[in-house]
Amino acid sequence: MSIFTPTNQIRLTNVAVVRMKKGGKRFEIACYKNKVMSWRSGTEKDLDEVLQTHSVFVNVSKGQMAKKDDLVKAFGTGDQTEICKQILSKGELQVSDKERQSQLETMFRDIASIVAEKCVNPDTKRPYTVSLIERAMKDIHYSVKPNKSTKQQALEVIRQLKETMEIQRAHMRLRLAVPAKEAKRLREKLKPLLQVVESEEFDEELEMVVLVDPGCFREIDELIRCETKGRGSLEVLSLKDVEEGDEKL
Amino acid sequence: MGVIGLDKIKTLQRNPANIRNLCILAHVDHGKTTLADCLVANNGIISSRLAGKLRYLDSREDEQVRGITMKSSAISLHYSTGNQEYLLNLIDSPGHVDFSSEVSTAVRLCDGAIVVVDAVEGVCPQTQAVLRQAWLENVRPVLVINKMDRLIMELKLTALEAYTHLQKILGQVNAVTGTLFTSKVLEERAEKVKEEVNRDKDPSGDQVYDWSAGLEDADDSHLYFSPDQGNVVFASAIDGWGFSIQHFAHIYSQRMGIRTEVLLKTLWGDFYLDTKIQRIMKGAQTKGKKPLFVQLVLDNIWSLYDAVVTRRDKQKVEKVMTSLGIKVMTRDLRHSDPKVLLFAICNQWLPVSKAVLSMVCEKLPSPLEMAAEKVEKLMSVRTRRFDSLPERTQELKTAFLQCSSEINAPVIIFVSKMFAVDTKTLPQKRQRPLNQEEIAQRREVARQRHAEKLAAESLERATQSGSAPGEATMTSLPLKPEEEEEQKEVFIAFARIYSGTVKKGQRVLVLGPKYDPAQGLSLLPEGCSASDCIQEVPHLSCCTVENLYLLMGRELEELEEIPAGNVMGIGGLEDCVLKTATLSASPACSPFTPLYFEAAPIVRVAVEPKHPSEMPKLVSGMRLLNQADPCAEVLIQETGEHVLVTAGEVHLQRCLDDLRERFAKIEISVSKPIIPFRETVVRPPKVDMVNEELGKQQKVAVIHQVKKELPQGRSSDYQHVDPDGLVTLTTPNRLATVCVRAIPLPQEVTVLLERNSELIRALELMNSSLREGRAMDINLRILEAIAELKDHLQSLLQERKWRNAVERIWAFGPRRYGPNILLNSIKDYSRPSVWQCLEWRHSNDQVRAPASPLRDFDNSIVSGFQLATLSGPMCEEPLMGVCFSVERWDVESVPFSQNSDTLKEDSVSPEALRDVSSHGNSVDATTERKMDASSVDCYGPVSGQLIAAMKEACRYAFQAQPQRLMAAMYTCEIMATAEVLGRVYGVLGKREGRVLHEEMKEGTDMFIITAVLPVAESFGFADEIRKRTSGLASPQLVFSHWEVISSDPYWVPTTEEEYLHFGEKADSVNQALKYMNAVRRRKGLFVEEKIVEHAEKQRTLGKNK
Repeated sequence: MSIFTPTNQIRLTNVAVVRMKKGGKRFEIACYKNKVMSWRSGTEKDLDEVLQTHSVFVNVSKGQMAKKDDLVKAFGTGDQTEICKQILSKGELQVSDKERQSQLETMFRDIASIVAEKCVNPDTKRPYTVSLIERAMKDIHYSVKPNKSTKQQALEVIRQLKETMEIQRAHMRLRLAVPAKEAKRLREKLKPLLQVVESEEFDEELEMVVLVDPGCFREIDELIRCETKGRGSLEVLSLKDVEEGDEKL
Repeated sequence: MGVIGLDKIKTLQRNPANIRNLCILAHVDHGKTTLADCLVANNGIISSRLAGKLRYLDSREDEQVRGITMKSSAISLHYSTGNQEYLLNLIDSPGHVDFSSEVSTAVRLCDGAIVVVDAVEGVCPQTQAVLRQAWLENVRPVLVINKMDRLIMELKLTALEAYTHLQKILGQVNAVTGTLFTSKVLEERAEKVKEEVNRDKDPSGDQVYDWSAGLEDADDSHLYFSPDQGNVVFASAIDGWGFSIQHFAHIYSQRMGIRTEVLLKTLWGDFYLDTKIQRIMKGAQTKGKKPLFVQLVLDNIWSLYDAVVTRRDKQKVEKVMTSLGIKVMTRDLRHSDPKVLLFAICNQWLPVSKAVLSMVCEKLPSPLEMAAEKVEKLMSVRTRRFDSLPERTQELKTAFLQCSSEINAPVIIFVSKMFAVDTKTLPQKRQRPLNQEEIAQRREVARQRHAEKLAAESLERATQSGSAPGEATMTSLPLKPEEEEEQKEVFIAFARIYSGTVKKGQRVLVLGPKYDPAQGLSLLPEGCSASDCIQEVPHLSCCTVENLYLLMGRELEELEEIPAGNVMGIGGLEDCVLKTATLSASPACSPFTPLYFEAAPIVRVAVEPKHPSEMPKLVSGMRLLNQADPCAEVLIQETGEHVLVTAGEVHLQRCLDDLRERFAKIEISVSKPIIPFRETVVRPPKVDMVNEELGKQQKVAVIHQVKKELPQGRSSDYQHVDPDGLVTLTTPNRLATVCVRAIPLPQEVTVLLERNSELIRALELMNSSLREGRAMDINLRILEAIAELKDHLQSLLQERKWRNAVERIWAFGPRRYGPNILLNSIKDYSRPSVWQCLEWRHSNDQVRAPASPLRDFDNSIVSGFQLATLSGPMCEEPLMGVCFSVERWDVESVPFSQNSDTLKEDSVSPEALRDVSSHGNSVDATTERKMDASSVDCYGPVSGQLIAAMKEACRYAFQAQPQRLMAAMYTCEIMATAEVLGRVYGVLGKREGRVLHEEMKEGTDMFIITAVLPVAESFGFADEIRKRTSGLASPQLVFSHWEVISSDPYWVPTTEEEYLHFGEKADSVNQALKYMNAVRRRKGLFVEEKIVEHAEKQRTLGKNK
């Protein structure tokens, strides 16, 4: 008789369930909390520290074991430990609190350091520190999306930060050489893409050293290649235009 | 302003013979400010009742709260004795170590100093420091032994005990002075010997060696403190009394009929009074008699304290008072606190101010008596001999000595610091009481306004139209408060005028510390004045003296002109003077020697605004702070951090408070500065962690273990790692392949490259201009330096495996000038070497023609290398001392061979490519462009892919070698006395420091320890070492070099012995791993750490959880 009354209800407090559907059946294993991610990332190497028990269940909370025939049918083996390993690496799991927290934290940090790496203070041409960016991200209440890459999110953050503080992506310094024939036409097209033109020479060919937003690089590259049919050239002088060295005030 | 008027001071300022510029120096809490209070009270500026409690010169709020002085501040006092009237420019200085820079600024401006010593504590570390400072600046000191009351009330010493105690203290002080003197004599002697040796080099007859240290000849008797010399005062500033021997000598010579001179000689020392024969005899100690000093002086004071404070004997007190002829107000007599009564009596009987001031006036030199030696020291900058200065500069010495304030005397001023004051406190802005007329005037104005208002109102009522005059007055009213609100910090220069008279509005020259009078004189036309514009002379600028102030502690009094020999404040210099400067009307003047700082700033913190948008405010605030504080340093690092360097924790606290409340006015947060690391590779170790020889097999096993982790999630199609560390990587479109190997560079090479980074950058610049065929005017000297560097490199890279390596260098990195090398080891690929600019010198036009088949992708490889060296695989820190050797590099030249079986076919490509390129550049370019176009759709341009591939290849090659972390190291120089040496070693050991050597400083008991300390461990180091050694050791940290941390961050036990020794998990602390994980965590990188070490087992909880 299985009446689910408070008295005979056993709550699984420290169990994380990993599920996998295979061969039309659902299999579950009982693991310790906050451990499955470590196993997957390879930091935890002791299987006994991850699994509560080596047996495979159909339903962990009800304590129903999986039938041996089903296991063999689905996995092709009867070795429970082997199956547990498979389920561990491929099954779907609830991410536990601490795992989620640390994951979000590292992602947040990662985003902040990417932003700090890519951006400068336009006034001083110097980068911001990571901690400052982190604080700014908290100020604009940025929430990390766990399923998007940190790089993507960093670009998103830069856009949002621009509204509250003086920040800008560090410019790339490029040298363009365009044959004289196309130069005039091309210059008009390039103009909106260039941030700063540092030098410009025009004799046999147009040669420019320019600062551009790194986001426009592809566009410029394509433009030069297509328009000049391969006769123009583009050279990256520096990826990041920042002040170097320490400065005393 | 109290009893004496401004006019009086103005007249006194004109008489330099009666001016005394002095400062009060002491260890922290020995009573400098209290003593200053007593002196100030003597002038009636504050009530004498409050003297010692008010601490008038501690004008900052935090000074009052903390009870320590944090800045030097000046006040001008008037003192008259007999028929002489003196002007005293008193400067109070802080005693805390952190503010020793403020002491330097104070000492520089003075001729004399009052050294205060606590009668109980005796000579303390800072007492030594200030004595040394006074010595170095040639300032004559006098001694005040303060807090005598503590001997009576706290230690409960008898008069005789107190006497021996005082003798001991005097001995200590004199010992310090003595060591200073001997070390100076020894130094001079050493110099002399050096000169002699130089002279001896030319063969000139017989030599006579002088073995005596020179100590015997040098007379040092005038240096020491002794009561009979009159340069010692015994005082209790808090109880308001103080005396010198002279005072009592005068009293007793009258009462006992002994000559004053005799008493003066015998009152201090081993003399006693033989009552029978009424004569003063020698040898009190041996005969067990009371010395004269105890009998005549101390006993009286002791009995007074006994009567007033201890026993509270009213009758006796009255008796004493009548005998001393003192009248005390009944209010004080009846006061419940006996200290009040005591203060009242003592203050009349032995007023401390009088004792101190008369000693100061007698013993300290006036500006007129400035020693010639001091002048020469001041004027000869940077160890230049005074004789080597130009003649006109030498002439100025007489001006110094004369201290004349005549109009034609040259104006010479030294600014020792800039301090910020609120605009509100400036005399121009200050509210002053209105006189009768003005009140009347205001009343009239108000009445008029009222009338107008009434009129306007009536007008309005009548016509319903706005009234112009009424509105005008109304609008003019609210403007006023706005003006007041706009309060700004104004900088005032803390300065002294040495010669001439400075007037308001005068134009003077500002001499920078590097200004050379010889150069200035030759550049400037004869007889040009300060008002002429001068741009062409370096380190020389011109400014106008906008305001002149008399410094009166918290207040400033405006003056029109100030004659020579005075301390003063100058307004309007903030734009041309940063911290210190020399001002002069004559370009012949040489800048003064820079201030001598006892403690260099060493506590570093990173400062950030709470709200990121307030960054500009912070920067401007830090700029102001830098100007206002003589010791604080402010810098922006390459990482974008704003770093504040201060002398100590208390100083830091003050700087931060200033920044928050005065200069930036924003919330800021403070953190540990980011600590940089470098990543490198080393040769495979020969022994394991337990010093057992590693067998060949096991070594391979280690490498395999590392390698197994590498490919994570990458298909091995694209990459392959040889057991000996050669990495082969193919781009995703399978068109290009690179083979890279990482080799550790010898340490000397790394150091050489690091040191010559500027040169390499210049080299790179030249190369790029050459590549374009643009001729650049190249400095021959730089070319020579480059050639030298090349030779040097060649001599360092002698081994077989480095054969011809220097010629094959492809690039340096990161950023094209770092300490890593990209080596071209490809068999049949020749490109112009990085040294091409050297050859260019020989054959000018040969290189100009682009004969070399420069590959288009050359740049991609270099970029990939730059990226890889900029952030390594361990914790994304730059690499250092790594050589990446490209051993093979194939690019698929047939663009449409989609079915290419990659590698094998690739190997043919170099020839093919060269064939194409030999046809001419344009054709070459087009084929490549076409190829680019074909591959754009899925993976992006080939060049981009190649960059990524090269970067990855470098990273894998790096990981294939044993990796190490490099830590930045400070060299740390610590001066410590012998007794705290052990503690210093303790602190150093705890923080992973390593002592290089220690030696004793000649002529002193100080040890100088040189050690290296990782920067990562230096946070809080200065504070800890000071605390542990009670301030007797003071460290100085300077960045010196990068050092490889010997432990492997990825180390796990592999051999049997290691298992035995460390166990399976290797639980012992791995320094490198600790650093690496800290950096990774900070950057949000993956850290190989379990979130939970041991999971909790299932627990079935009860009903109500």
